[in-house]
Amino acid sequence: MSSELLNYKDISISYGEKKVLSHFDLDIKQGDRILLKGRSGAGKSTLLKMPMGFAHQTSGNLYFNNSLLDSNTVWDARKRIAYVSQDLDIYEGSVDEFIEEVFSYSFNEGKLDRTKLRRLLVYLGFEKDVLDMNFEELSGGEKQRIGIIMSVLIGKDIYLLDEITSSLDAALKEKVANYFLERKEWTLVIISHDDVWEKENVKVVPVGV
Amino acid sequence: MEIYDISYLSLVACFLLLVIPVFVSQYLKLGIIQDTVVSVSRMVVQLAFVGVFLTVLFDLNNSIVNLLWLLVMLIMATHTTISDVGLDLKKLLVPTIFSFIIGNFLVLLYFNMFVVNLENLFDARFLIPIFGMFLGNSLRGNIISISSFYDAIKRNENRYLYSLSLGAKKHEAILPYARKSLDLALKPSIANMSTIGIVALPGMMTGQIIAGSSPILAIKYQMAIMVGIYVSTVMTVAIGIFMTIRSSFDEYGILKQDVFKSTNA
Ligand SMILES: Nc1ncnc2c1ncn2[C@@H]1O[C@H](COP(=O)(O)OP(=O)(O)O)[C@@H](O)[C@H]1O
Ligand SMILES: [Mg+2]
Repeated sequence: MSSELLNYKDISISYGEKKVLSHFDLDIKQGDRILLKGRSGAGKSTLLKMPMGFAHQTSGNLYFNNSLLDSNTVWDARKRIAYVSQDLDIYEGSVDEFIEEVFSYSFNEGKLDRTKLRRLLVYLGFEKDVLDMNFEELSGGEKQRIGIIMSVLIGKDIYLLDEITSSLDAALKEKVANYFLERKEWTLVIISHDDVWEKENVKVVPVGV
Repeated sequence: MEIYDISYLSLVACFLLLVIPVFVSQYLKLGIIQDTVVSVSRMVVQLAFVGVFLTVLFDLNNSIVNLLWLLVMLIMATHTTISDVGLDLKKLLVPTIFSFIIGNFLVLLYFNMFVVNLENLFDARFLIPIFGMFLGNSLRGNIISISSFYDAIKRNENRYLYSLSLGAKKHEAILPYARKSLDLALKPSIANMSTIGIVALPGMMTGQIIAGSSPILAIKYQMAIMVGIYVSTVMTVAIGIFMTIRSSFDEYGILKQDVFKSTNA
């Protein structure tokens, strides 16, 4: 068998009468950088939700590590894959409370490295002490960056990034994109309209032409 | 000790007092006369019905009939819980009934056996009123906990999914919400216990004292009842949440949408 991490095979998705995707195929190997492009409503976000079990195909199969993704294997997928959604709405409690909660899950226990956390916060452009702030006070982009930092601390190596640079300023866009693109061992699937992602070794895949 | 009966004539005298709210309403143009009349009539009819019903039940005092009546109370409580919280009856019926049975019935049996020391555990005079008090309180608890739980998990859908995506097991993702709603549901019961006797004399105790019991006996009963109510509420509410959770999340750990009553489509 090949070393495919994620394998979308002949995926079709419809909601009621509405066809969103038909016969979509995509192989993703370790270390791949893939940029999904397509008009709004083409089904890009849906494709990234599937490995998390948050969206399901109408027909076709999705494989993770060469086994069919179903209600048993999805739990392993969630441990290895980071999915940073375009609308990360965590609006109750402070950032630090949420971090404490996430690192109390048995899978994440002992992974909270506070020094690394502070370094990442500074690197990703947080100036004020964001840990004591409530999520209500943060912008969408700030929430996403917190999300990225948590995934990094957990040690995930497959990143599904849904429009994570869309609301950042130019300098930060560049910084965030470089942070991911520099880590060659990571596997990235990116949805973005920003050209900071269109670098060497990034393969553009059209969705729903 | 002598029991002071209220004759039907004195009951009429009591209803005469209602002239006062009528005057108040008239004078201040509150417009509550009609509501008052309707409410009082409903109270009279309902209580008269219960009075007759309980008399028959107590005279009969047949364990099977008593238990059947408890079953009716249970079904009513379950129905009220589920329709009050706007969830789909069929999906949550079994877990909710189950929570009421375990939470109330077991505590009730213990109570009748070891606290009241009844010879017949199913004696109507104890079984029905005590079960009623347990059930009433755990019903309120169940409504608060179940409705706040499903509210919170729906409101925080993104946050919840995000926890799953960060490696939470199903129970780890759900527990923070369950904990909060249990806390919310139990707070009133806890507050009740700590203010009892100071803010208000509880109805049951007042009733016993008026009916001729010594205040000490009434207080002993009240303590026992309060503990019983608290324990049965905690059990019902905890079992209620965890049993409904079992049947309302799918294998992916995601809340089934059909748990909610369909409002659209
Ligand atoms: N759970 C759902 N129920 C119904 N329609 C949905 C659902 N999820 C997505 N869709 C529809 O599927 C289409 C694709 O959505 P999405 O994957 O978010 O597109 P994109 O990210 O490419 O803009 C949209 O038209 C959206 O309305
Ligand atoms: Mg999208």
